[in-house]
Amino acid sequence: MTAYLSRRFAGMVVVMLMVAAIVFVIARVVPGDPAAVMLGSNATPADVAALRTQLGLDQPLPVQFVLYIRDILSFNLGNSIFLNRPVVDAMLDRAELTSWLTGLSVAIAVLIGVPVGVLAAVRRGTLLDQAVTAVSMLAASLPSFWVGLTLIEYLAVRLGWFPVAGYGNPGAGLGERLHHLILPAVALGLPNSALIIRFTRTSMLDVLHEDYVRTARAKGLGPWAVIIKHAFRNALIPVLTVIGLTIATLIGGAIVTETVFGLPGVGNLIVSAVLRRDYPVIQGALLIISGLYVLINMAVDLLYAVVDPRVRY
Amino acid sequence: MLQLKSGFTALAFGALLMGQPAQAQIKSAIDIATIGEPGPLDPVTVTSDLVSIITQHVFETLYAFDAKWEAAPLLASALPTITDGGTLYTVPLRTGVTFHDGSAMGADDVVASLQRWLKASPRGKLAAPAVETVTAKDDHTVTIKLKQPFAPLLPLLAFQNGAAAIMPKALAASTDTLKTYIGTGPYKIAEQKPDQYIRMVRFDRYASPAGAPSGYAGARKAEIEELRFVPVPNATTRVDGMLAGQYQFADSLPTELAPKFKGQTAAKPIMVKPFGWALVIFNQKTGPMTNPVVRQAAQAALAPEDMLLAAFGDPTFFQLEGSIYPQGTPFYDEAGVKGYNQHDQKKAAALLKQAGYKGEPIKILTSPQYDFLYKMSLVAQQNLQEAGFTVDLQVLDWATLLSKRSDPAAWDAFFTFHTFVPEPSLITIMNPAYPGWWDTPEKKAALDAFNLETDPTKRVADWKTVQGLFYAQVPAIKIGAFYSLSAQSQKLSGYTPTEWPFFWNVKVSQ
Repeated sequence: MTAYLSRRFAGMVVVMLMVAAIVFVIARVVPGDPAAVMLGSNATPADVAALRTQLGLDQPLPVQFVLYIRDILSFNLGNSIFLNRPVVDAMLDRAELTSWLTGLSVAIAVLIGVPVGVLAAVRRGTLLDQAVTAVSMLAASLPSFWVGLTLIEYLAVRLGWFPVAGYGNPGAGLGERLHHLILPAVALGLPNSALIIRFTRTSMLDVLHEDYVRTARAKGLGPWAVIIKHAFRNALIPVLTVIGLTIATLIGGAIVTETVFGLPGVGNLIVSAVLRRDYPVIQGALLIISGLYVLINMAVDLLYAVVDPRVRY
Repeated sequence: MLQLKSGFTALAFGALLMGQPAQAQIKSAIDIATIGEPGPLDPVTVTSDLVSIITQHVFETLYAFDAKWEAAPLLASALPTITDGGTLYTVPLRTGVTFHDGSAMGADDVVASLQRWLKASPRGKLAAPAVETVTAKDDHTVTIKLKQPFAPLLPLLAFQNGAAAIMPKALAASTDTLKTYIGTGPYKIAEQKPDQYIRMVRFDRYASPAGAPSGYAGARKAEIEELRFVPVPNATTRVDGMLAGQYQFADSLPTELAPKFKGQTAAKPIMVKPFGWALVIFNQKTGPMTNPVVRQAAQAALAPEDMLLAAFGDPTFFQLEGSIYPQGTPFYDEAGVKGYNQHDQKKAAALLKQAGYKGEPIKILTSPQYDFLYKMSLVAQQNLQEAGFTVDLQVLDWATLLSKRSDPAAWDAFFTFHTFVPEPSLITIMNPAYPGWWDTPEKKAALDAFNLETDPTKRVADWKTVQGLFYAQVPAIKIGAFYSLSAQSQKLSGYTPTEWPFFWNVKVSQ
């Protein structure tokens, strides 16, 4: 296990350095200039050039790249050009919201997706199975921004049960903040639950025909004991993979949903940074997210061994 | 329904509530939905309208515009005494004005602030070449000595965009972007959480100017205890938030969403007039548009009425108006407008032939980030092609457009807009360094005469000359004026629709 972990961490460092280089190049290849955006449409080229010098953007790209890599190796992600504060602070400010939103969305997706997927597999071919398949197809096809706008229109504007947008007023407690996150979490969770339903159903159908399931039934175990203890546990690996990918994707920021609900999360930060060409934020945020993505994938791989004793590292 | 709402909320979230919000003791507060995160709140160095809207509550200038767009005293106690042939401005200051840090405002603070403005503000830099010295005559008098008369100085001192904001001397010592915000305004910054909110609270020691409120001038009273500026980039969400009662004011709403307010009791739409004007600016440094006859051909070819209809749909939201200044303002002049809204393709084709145009591609930059500009550019493309132009319409994001327009070789025309400015010399294309580079001897002479003239009546006549050149030399084409849609809660009272919304003298009922 130790050797395996060492290999994975070493690989992770290489991946992160590659990501750092790619992100730097992409950010600079895209046309546009943070100085021009900051100064606005009234600025003259001379004003823009002066600010570029002040920000160090007039230095040759190789020099900027060397400085950037040097900063990364000393764990310094730099300062946001637009927000005028460290990138790490800007990310940490938004981490709480994104963590809660990810947690709630995944909880909704799993709590709906897994049981319904299992039920559909067990009742294969019935009206229930067909209905689940159809509804999950539909839910998977719904764009989360449309689900979000619809939820806002009916549950927030017309019924007033939820706030339309934001993350609570100044001084808001946890309850108020979570209240603001329910609709976006549903908007994100529903399409993901459809995905989990489909994977769970397929995976369960595979194992329900295995010999050990027949043996368990022959031993006289109750039907749900067979399904939960013997079939479901073995069907879990592909489902875990999907859940892991869902978490990793959502941590990267549910960009559209955050925009629709006016949530100051990681996705919103990245979109704003791209529009403003705030290079340090784009680079820093993508680096952190890539790191988390790699870590989550590693955690999922390790979980395989917990779920399936045959897997050894 | 109210019971159902309360019951549902209590049932679902009662267990999660973690004590009372820290702001529970606030008696009156409003949430103002803005178009996005403003970034650093430096009213001097940053000229975005959003920063001006927010910071005008915190920082004040020596003068402010009244309802007739004339400068009136704000931190000054009277209009300046102008002597020595228009080259010496003596500004008397109000006494008893306190900064948010508790210190008293004095002439030294004003001198330091004006010097920072002259060095760091894009507006101040326009005035800087004309200014010789800024000095404190005594504790409550400041003198500004000019090298030559410069009539735009007073409007520039009154303008809240790129503002000559007065701050403590120590804060004004550096031209770096501000990180702490200490002004004299009716509100002071309490908290800034990027992308979440800017919270400002009433400044209890605020010293208001005298006189009846008029525009941005006159008495100011912070009736509402707390203002929260909330970034809501999605316009539909701003509208929904107004309809649900979550926000009490929302700015910059798409005109196509105006019907959503019909029959609603929580909020009402507001039209802001005057607001802005759209224009296409031509490159006069390099390329085919350096030929004035080609620019005149473009002027003849375009159909501003069609462009405005495509952009805004409902004529309620725009005005087919050639005068650069809107009706009702001192510089309005429709009589001098020659060549607006022609849509004469035959004339355009003849002018192109006369200019010897050989079908070189005209690179036009536009951005869908401003949907109305993008729609206008599509109509323009059609108009120009019908007249014989070869058009290369380049659709870019706004950041790319701003960057690309600095390079004269990269474009021939770009679509943009200008918000209303009370002083003509503040119009971007008047600056010869602004992309487009309108810098002909005739324009320079006319603009210099306008800037040197201190008599308001004569300035109006001088402006007509400048506008005449705008239509003759065609450095740009005005497409038309447009209005802005905002919304306010029915609970707000005393709000005056204006380009840079302000919330002093505004009340909110519970």
